[in-house]
Amino acid sequence: MLLFVARKFLYLIPVLIAVSLLTFCIASLLPGDLAYTILGDQATPENVAALRHDMGLDQPIWVRYFGWLGHVLQGDFGRSFRTGQTVLQAVTERLPVSFELMILAEIMCLVIGIPLAIICAARSGGVFDRFMTGAAFGMLSVPTFLSAILLIYLFAVELRWLPATGYVPFGEDPAANLRFMMLPALTLALAEWPGIMRVLRSDMIATLQEDYIALAKAKGLKASRILFVHALKPSSLTLVTITGINIGRLIGGAVIVETIFALPGIGRLLVGAIGTRDLIILQGVVLLVGAGFVLMNFIVDMLYATLDPRIRHGHA
Amino acid sequence: MIAANRTSALVRIFLVAGFAISLCAVPANAQKAGGSITVGLELDIPGFDPLKVGVFDTAALTAASAIFESLTYLDDKGVAQPRLALSWTHSDDFKIWTFKLRPGVKFHDGTPFNAEAAKANFDRQKDPANKCRCAFYISAINNVQAPDELTLVYNLNDPSVNFPATILSYTNQNAAIQSPTAWKTKGEDYNRNPVGTGPFVLKSWTAGDRMVLERNPDYWDKDKIYLDRIIVKPLPDAQSRFASLQSGEADIIWDDEASADNIQRAEKDPKLKVHTYAGSGAAVAAFNTKVAPFDDVRVRQALVMALDRKKLSQALTNGLARPATNPYGDGSWVKCKDDGALPYDVEKAKALIKDYGKPVDFKMLVTATPRGRANGQVLQQFWKQVGANMEIEQVDQATIPPRAFMRQFQLTPWRIVDLADPDMQMYANFHTGSPVALANYSNPELDRLLEHARVTADQDQRNEDYCAISRLINKEAIWYWTFQNTYYAMSSTKVKGLPKMYSGVIDVSRVWLE
Repeated sequence: MLLFVARKFLYLIPVLIAVSLLTFCIASLLPGDLAYTILGDQATPENVAALRHDMGLDQPIWVRYFGWLGHVLQGDFGRSFRTGQTVLQAVTERLPVSFELMILAEIMCLVIGIPLAIICAARSGGVFDRFMTGAAFGMLSVPTFLSAILLIYLFAVELRWLPATGYVPFGEDPAANLRFMMLPALTLALAEWPGIMRVLRSDMIATLQEDYIALAKAKGLKASRILFVHALKPSSLTLVTITGINIGRLIGGAVIVETIFALPGIGRLLVGAIGTRDLIILQGVVLLVGAGFVLMNFIVDMLYATLDPRIRHGHA
Repeated sequence: MIAANRTSALVRIFLVAGFAISLCAVPANAQKAGGSITVGLELDIPGFDPLKVGVFDTAALTAASAIFESLTYLDDKGVAQPRLALSWTHSDDFKIWTFKLRPGVKFHDGTPFNAEAAKANFDRQKDPANKCRCAFYISAINNVQAPDELTLVYNLNDPSVNFPATILSYTNQNAAIQSPTAWKTKGEDYNRNPVGTGPFVLKSWTAGDRMVLERNPDYWDKDKIYLDRIIVKPLPDAQSRFASLQSGEADIIWDDEASADNIQRAEKDPKLKVHTYAGSGAAVAAFNTKVAPFDDVRVRQALVMALDRKKLSQALTNGLARPATNPYGDGSWVKCKDDGALPYDVEKAKALIKDYGKPVDFKMLVTATPRGRANGQVLQQFWKQVGANMEIEQVDQATIPPRAFMRQFQLTPWRIVDLADPDMQMYANFHTGSPVALANYSNPELDRLLEHARVTADQDQRNEDYCAISRLINKEAIWYWTFQNTYYAMSSTKVKGLPKMYSGVIDVSRVWLE
């Protein structure tokens, strides 16, 4: 088991290097020169050349990359040229918001997706199942920016049940915090539950064909017990993968959702950094988020092995 | 009969007097003290240290107008009034301006505001070693002296007849007076912990979420301040920002013509009020007259005559944007009977292009945003109609100024911003040899008019000069103007007393809630 963990862990290193390299290249390829952005109206050719030299922008890209990587490895991600904040300050300030948003969205996703999947699988091909198939594809095709606005108009403007925008830290007022988080999390969940539902449903249908289910039925166990206890766990392998991948998709979704709902999270930090060409923040944040995503997948791999011993022993 | 008349006259006098008294009484009662206002803006504020942020954008300006003060401010007529300065005088050539400062004013950190502090602000921005982007905007000021505690002297490079109304009149990166002690002691952290003399003090600031400003109990003019608290929030998405206003999370929000739908919806909503300020200046574009095909006046005139500004406004802003025919706009004190605008005339434009004889192909710089692209595409259609081929070159917003300064363009968009006096920008944009004279155009008559206008105190005479300038530029078609600058805010109807939004700044420091 330890060897398995170690081997998986070693895979992380090349992945992270690739992430950092890609981030750096993409950030460098963004149109617009940082020196021009900083100098603005004072961007005379001489000033630009001087500033580019000061910032090392006149050096070849690989020199800059290794310089940056060297600092990163020492834990120094750099400072925003606009706000003076360090990358770590900015990230730690905003991470809790995005993290909470993701967890809430994931929970909502599972709460909507799992029961629906089980009901559909139990009566597969039935009217409800067919209806839900249509509904799931429908929901899957609604972009988050649209559902977000629709939810805001329904729940904030018309019904006045929930606030349209804003944020209160959980530590300050948990109830208010949840009120503010409700619509953003629901927006993300609405886009993600169809995937969960569809995958779990087909796995369930396969599981329900197994002999031991027939045996359980023959023993006279209640249908709900068979579904929730005997069939759910063996069917949930793909679900775990999907949930892991979802985390990555949720980070992407958070960029849009945090902007619309004005949540002070990582997504907003990224959008702001792109808009202002704050490359230091941009590179640092993408690298940290990338590392988080890779780590999440690593945990999923581990979870997989726990759920299904066959994988751990290398003969899946 | 006479007696009856007399009685009724008396009654009338009484009524009028009573009405007058009640008129006086109503506003006094209506200005209710207390309460908190939430302002929804588009952008995250990066900070307030000019060395760091360079220029304050509209979001920063809104917060700055509560935290800081400038020497003067503009009243509803656009005339400079005393704020941190009490009075001012000028030399005969309008190159030396002396300000008497308000005594007894303290920064939020308790240190005194005086001439030395104001000078320190200027010197810090001007110092070449600090490489402040903000230095560009004070390049007309040679130096500032503080001969005594409450006297401040500005020595200008060039005459400026309306100096107190221009650079000093609102709390931008240059004019906001910040506490020298605070920036020295706080160092890197000062940017996000600003200290001014204004009616509100920064209480807390969560990046990306909210900035809380509390009433300054020691403010020198505190009787005119009604709110207890101002909360400034970045709400980047236009739709959810508007929804926040409708649902009450925000009391007043910033907007622009890009979301014309929301502005028009708010106009019909009895619970909302749209605040509009028709400023001076305009969205403009400059032809590079040194390169073909724009070295020929016929081509330039043809392209300007092909512009259907009404249709452009309809296409881009639901007709909200106001067409501009001169660089000054309705908000300016410059009023021209004849600004020399070329008419919209497709046939004439076609004839001019035909007369030119060669194919008209050129590139226009366009900002790589949905709005920039839409703008470029509509213009492309207009010009295609008259036989000119425009190719859109999409560039990043930050790329436009350097490209413009290095004259690496054929046609570039630009903006004349809302300022109380046209001199600074008109001189910079059109005088021979100025770095911002983007058209690369030189005309002794134009230079003479610009020089005359900046040293003439008589406003009617200056008005004449500026109208002549407009006629000349329009005739030569070296720049063209599309839309005037209009600034918008939307609020709930309970927000009262919002001043004119000069330069687009939503200054809520003196509003009250009903």
